[in-house]
Amino acid sequence: MKRSTLFPWILIFLGFLYFFLPLIGTLDFSLRLVKDQITLEAYKNVLTSARFQNTFTYSFVMALWTILAGTLLITPTAYWVHLKLPHLRPLIEFVTLLTYVVPAIILVFGIIRVYSRPPLSILESELGADFLLVMGYVAMSLPAMYRSVDTGLRAMDVRTLTEAAQSLGAGWRTILAAVIFPNLRIALLSGAFITFAMVIGEFTIATFLARPAFGPYMANLGQTRPYESTALTIISLSLTWACIGVMQFLGRGTQGQIQVTR
Amino acid sequence: MAFLELTNVSKVFGQTAAVQDFNLNVERGEFVSFLGPSGCGKTTTLRMIAGFELPTTGTVIINGNDVTFKPPQKRNTGMVFQAYALFPNMNVAENIGFGLKIARKPKDEIKKRVEEVLAIIKMDSFGNRYPYQLSGGQQQRVALARALAIQPQVLLLDEPLSALDAKIRVSLRQEIRAIQQKLGITTVYVTHDQEEALSLSDRVVVMNNAKIEQVGTPFEIYNFPNTEFTAQFVGTLNHISATVRDVANGVLAIDSQQVVTAQKLEGVSNGTAVTVSIRPERISFAEDGRKPNVLNIKVENITFLGSIVRVQVRAGDNLFLMDTFNNPFLKLPEIGDTVEITFSKEAVLVLKNGS
Repeated sequence: MKRSTLFPWILIFLGFLYFFLPLIGTLDFSLRLVKDQITLEAYKNVLTSARFQNTFTYSFVMALWTILAGTLLITPTAYWVHLKLPHLRPLIEFVTLLTYVVPAIILVFGIIRVYSRPPLSILESELGADFLLVMGYVAMSLPAMYRSVDTGLRAMDVRTLTEAAQSLGAGWRTILAAVIFPNLRIALLSGAFITFAMVIGEFTIATFLARPAFGPYMANLGQTRPYESTALTIISLSLTWACIGVMQFLGRGTQGQIQVTR
Repeated sequence: MAFLELTNVSKVFGQTAAVQDFNLNVERGEFVSFLGPSGCGKTTTLRMIAGFELPTTGTVIINGNDVTFKPPQKRNTGMVFQAYALFPNMNVAENIGFGLKIARKPKDEIKKRVEEVLAIIKMDSFGNRYPYQLSGGQQQRVALARALAIQPQVLLLDEPLSALDAKIRVSLRQEIRAIQQKLGITTVYVTHDQEEALSLSDRVVVMNNAKIEQVGTPFEIYNFPNTEFTAQFVGTLNHISATVRDVANGVLAIDSQQVVTAQKLEGVSNGTAVTVSIRPERISFAEDGRKPNVLNIKVENITFLGSIVRVQVRAGDNLFLMDTFNNPFLKLPEIGDTVEITFSKEAVLVLKNGS
């Protein structure tokens, strides 16, 4: 009896060491910018750096645009496929998985090749480059966004809810806005979070499109300033966890609201 | 002109005919049930009335308007689904007010109407609750209220009680009927439960294999089934092998014992083997009073079913059932006893396509 209760605790402890030991090591290193002292100097350097603020803000805004564009593209598509074209689901899944097969470097060179020469030379302007960056991120976020939305749609009786709304006089736009989107809140938040994390750390596309993003800044800092770089890692992780917290906060109280039907 | 008219309606999915040549007129304020087994086309027909399916042929007319090609949102039909289909992100009041909001009714009017229908379903204090905070029966009442709130021309209910437990099913169906009668709303109800159809409806449409078998009042459907399917599907029916003895006088023989039917025998001659049908509740023990037909039978089994006692009896090779009302003073024979049973001439039916 004793052995059986002790064993899981040993496993939990080993798991804890596996996940947190490197993190503790990173945290410890980030606090040793000044010799023989525990200091937050590296954090101070990072947080007061204008480049940190600028690049993080830029990536943050790009992430929001990516999430918005991805949501508006994926949700109606996945909804329509669920409702009217269920036989196309495997094809859509395959298409959304293509970004796992096509590396980011191929994607970005494709973008540069197509959009840097007439008639689609939009890469020359700042706005055009930002737009292409967002589109690239949307493509990269497809697997996460589609899967999240697809899972959310599977958890509700899309057809019956749609028909119920239709019988009450609702058109497609109203159904999407008032019924489908609100009930996909958790699924969309989950997809949005993954997209956010991906965009914040993304390096390849931002670098080759020469955008002032956070990913290239982190990479650059890692090569030149090791203490600040580890401090940045801890900051990034904290931001990620904060995002999870926000997601859970926004999703509170929705448990059990989705009906289990048929 | 009927309020709801379905004329030559059919629906084909690929190679399969889901509904064939469906013709029905429903009067204003009438409660009509579609009754039949799974896959008989009853839900497809309802969905064509709602506009969720387009008929392959035929027309759907509501209140004089041809709505055959109108989308569901333009038909003003209220639909109640088996799966409730309440919007999980909205509370009860928002669910009920959804259709009115779509119709751009003023806020005050929506609030007033929501309160009215909440009172109708006796859930006045539930406006702020979410669907997940309600029981199945409550959710279905809210779904009904939501459909009623828009004051639909036709109320459509697709097996609304199937997901509920037996007791709630009975109470809710009484509630549905009472509300329907109070509001005088034209209603089409789909069910595979004969008790539900018989207890709720002004008329029942019995369906089988994509076609209408019979349309009639519950009394007609139960007591005078036109087809073997209707007779078998609605209620319990005994099938007993018999031989025609005298066509002119309706005399038959069951296990060499003579029985008489009130039905005019057609298409048979003396000596023809037929199958006759008798409802179990139309047979009684002869000691209660003799009717024109008396049979000697052997008691094979006795089952208590609460309000009735079901007795399995044998006459030669025929094994069949009789039901008698249970009461504390009931004197039942023992298993293995030979006793006399009796039934009227009218109880003996030789079905149209049954022989």
